Amino acid sequence: MTVAADANRPVAMPRGRRRTELVMLAFAVAVVLLAYAAVGLGLRGKLPGLPADLVAFAALMVVAHLAIRRFAPHADPLLLPLAALLNGLGIVMIYRLQESGRNGNPGLQVTDMSTSATTTQLLYTGVGVAVLVAVLVLIREVRVLQRYTYTLGAVGLVLLAIPAMLPASHSVVNGAKVWIIFGSGFSVEPGEFARLALAVFFAGYLVSKRDVLALAGRRVLGVVLPRARDLGPVLIAWAASLLILIFETDIGTSALFFGMFVVMLYIATQRTSWLLIGVTLFVAGSWLTALAVPHVMERFTVWLHPFAGSNATGIAYQPVQALEGLAFGGLFGTGLGQGQPYHTPLVQSDFIFSAFGEELGLVGVMALLLVFGLLVQRGLRAAVAVPDPFSKLLIGGLSFVLALQIFVIVGGVSGLIPLTGITTPFLSQGGSSLVASWILVALLVRVSDTARGPAPQPIQDEGMTQVVRAG
Amino acid sequence: MNRALLRISLACLVMFVLLLINMNYVQAFETGKLAAEPGNIRVFDEQFTYQRGSIIANGDGTDLKIAESVPVKGTDTYQRYYPDGPVYAPVTGYDTIYSTSGIEQAENSYLSGTNPKLAVHNLGALLTGKQKQGATVELTISPAAQQAAYTALAGDGGHPAALVAISPSTGAILALASYPTFDPNQLATQDGAKLDKVDQQLLTNPSQPLLNRAISETYPPGSSFKIVTSSAALSTGAVASPNTPVYAPSPLTLPNGNLLVNDGGEICGDGMPPMIQAFWMSCNTAFGHLGSTMGAPTLRRYSSQFGMNRSLFIPLHVVPSVLPEGSGWTDPSLTAFSAIGQYNDAVTPLQEAMFSAAIANGGKLMYPYLVQQVVGPGLAVIQGAKPSVLSQAVSPAVASDLQSMMYEVTHNTGGTAYQTAGPQVTGGITIDGKTGTAQNGIDNGNLNDAVFTCFVPGTAGQPSPIAVGVIVQGGGFGADAAAPIAVQVIRAYLQAHS
Repeated sequence: MTVAADANRPVAMPRGRRRTELVMLAFAVAVVLLAYAAVGLGLRGKLPGLPADLVAFAALMVVAHLAIRRFAPHADPLLLPLAALLNGLGIVMIYRLQESGRNGNPGLQVTDMSTSATTTQLLYTGVGVAVLVAVLVLIREVRVLQRYTYTLGAVGLVLLAIPAMLPASHSVVNGAKVWIIFGSGFSVEPGEFARLALAVFFAGYLVSKRDVLALAGRRVLGVVLPRARDLGPVLIAWAASLLILIFETDIGTSALFFGMFVVMLYIATQRTSWLLIGVTLFVAGSWLTALAVPHVMERFTVWLHPFAGSNATGIAYQPVQALEGLAFGGLFGTGLGQGQPYHTPLVQSDFIFSAFGEELGLVGVMALLLVFGLLVQRGLRAAVAVPDPFSKLLIGGLSFVLALQIFVIVGGVSGLIPLTGITTPFLSQGGSSLVASWILVALLVRVSDTARGPAPQPIQDEGMTQVVRAG
Repeated sequence: MNRALLRISLACLVMFVLLLINMNYVQAFETGKLAAEPGNIRVFDEQFTYQRGSIIANGDGTDLKIAESVPVKGTDTYQRYYPDGPVYAPVTGYDTIYSTSGIEQAENSYLSGTNPKLAVHNLGALLTGKQKQGATVELTISPAAQQAAYTALAGDGGHPAALVAISPSTGAILALASYPTFDPNQLATQDGAKLDKVDQQLLTNPSQPLLNRAISETYPPGSSFKIVTSSAALSTGAVASPNTPVYAPSPLTLPNGNLLVNDGGEICGDGMPPMIQAFWMSCNTAFGHLGSTMGAPTLRRYSSQFGMNRSLFIPLHVVPSVLPEGSGWTDPSLTAFSAIGQYNDAVTPLQEAMFSAAIANGGKLMYPYLVQQVVGPGLAVIQGAKPSVLSQAVSPAVASDLQSMMYEVTHNTGGTAYQTAGPQVTGGITIDGKTGTAQNGIDNGNLNDAVFTCFVPGTAGQPSPIAVGVIVQGGGFGADAAAPIAVQVIRAYLQAHS
């Protein structure tokens, strides 16, 4: 950067693109409203009235937009519309599933969903937007989080460990010991938040240690191997993820943690050996666990032979229903409200993607995957653009783990990989996942605002002093 | 760090591409396989949500719905309704939530609308939001003949019995009745528990109401098989003409020393009667001797030309009528029994009708069929019947000889069916036929199976209108038990078509 001769002239601010964001947000909300109308037509053959829930949803999105306009004016304009579209479609699908078998609509006689599931999901959307606003207000620069590296690391570990410590009655829902149940129907899945806290910890730790991790080591077979003592944190993360796997019978979450850690390590050090070591450890660990824990082995059996023997009516019932639902949808889907997604048990949480596949068809899920892909891409783009290494690492890791999460759950639902029970970001029913997803959006918004915003102006003209952007 | 981030971006891209490929695989290429998985609930449930095509009996020139899907009150679902359930059950079969039979099964792809030929219509329905609909299947069944057959069979003392009537010149099946039968409406329920109960009752019922005796069960043809033996004799030249004297001692000493007697120890003419007389009197010794002379392979060859020894699909599956090969089957002493429709001979009532149909149609046996046409929801004909020749059973000359022989059975006062199918009881209708009284191996005393096969000969310029085969299990003498049933069906059919 050269110092302009007339440095006193104000530097032209880059355009904020908030108007673009508003137009795209309106488009996203319109798609959601049309989807809701389609559900009404599909279920009852007539247009539904405008529901208070969706009006509230639109209002919440406007609030989010105004918050971004005020507190992150240079943020990437695509982030909020993408998140709004996914969240809104999730609400519409939850509404559609909630109506199964109710109010004269076709469906199973007994649906285990509450009649207020849609309203509850909307409530959590409100919490999510509130958290978004809070994050934007409180965290003006993501790198300030680096100060809380170890605090958040401890918080993350505790959150992760709580369900394992609690008795089953306070931690197990549908066989997964990943909850904190407060009674009266309110429960939290701490893993969703632990992931964010640990991402901060990893980023902080790696930024401070990355030089030693990157440079020290011996070269073996063309690959630079790290020193044994530097392997410590990796092994701890690996052991922690295996412990989650064993005590909480949750392969998906452990895969996400480990994947996130390894990738952040790789981004920090740029050493391929970390990736190789990480993948080898994970595969070996999973295989050993599969041999030792019948529950994990069963997942492999279900994946490889869903229709063998009595699997389709037994252990593989849920994934088989999902697959048959996807096939039933075919290319164009049955249309919203006209499929039979309610046959898949708990379709509203982990399997919600199969409901979209059934009713929107291949074209619908391809569109959804592209929306997710776009969100991941915008996150990675912000990570590339932001100068601060901590923010870079944090956002790069979180964007990757978002992609990994989608890969694990969508791949699991569609039979590409063994099924593991994790939520589909934004779409699945459940407050923890939704609020955590909104925190992620808030962090992306904040980092993209930093990255795209104007370079900090020198407070006063000090002649030769110049601001150099780190990169 | 940006270089690593770009690589990670690539990794993310790879993951999304893998997901997209897999989704394409599942939702575009695997759909058929997954839909066909046993126990696919969605495919199962879908059967209630669209209107399955109707089955129509069109053999009398007007449409009569014999199976239709009607909306169930208060729901969005449809249920099968069979207006004359028991009468048409052997044809329509049933359509339960778990399985189908009869035409419901054989034409399922049209009735359910899944046949690719209906795809154009259903694609249109997809775009316009109209509901998917099945195609209508029109049958060759004549309601007049079918109703008469059911009434006659049911009124015949409760014996298990079956009747098939065919149009000899085309092979179109005019009636296909079986008794005892069932009411498919009982099985047309969405209530699985109720269905199980009804199903259990039907399955454990000793009278086997679900058995379609017309095409799924075989019986010894008895003397009606003499049509095949005579055809073989005349075709091979073993007997020059119907008036050629044949060897008919009473009794016949078989090569193995056993004796073959005529029914009731009757004397057959002067021991050397013309074949036509041996035929109308139904002498066992004459045809037993002819058969053992010609040999089992010749008999089997001619039985095959009459449509035996093979499966048929009309489109319901018809079990093969057989003159089976087996160890020692060429033993002339056994062949003598084969020649008179005993030993291991076994035929379906449909086969009985086909014997007469071949003779009535100048020796040309038409492939029997039930489906006249399939009409799509847009009233376009999707598939029409194309009558085809199954085989040339005998030459037109031999067929003509057989016609005169079968004429004598009902018109000569000494003919076995003169009393029950002669012109004095048919109201002037000429019926040519052949009786059979078959020992069925259960009780050779009074449980003989009664068999009658007959046709109404064509008149100048007009082909034969109808050929009928009847078997009454344990009915006794063929002419007494079976022939009147055939006569009633023929009268009803000709009246409807006069």
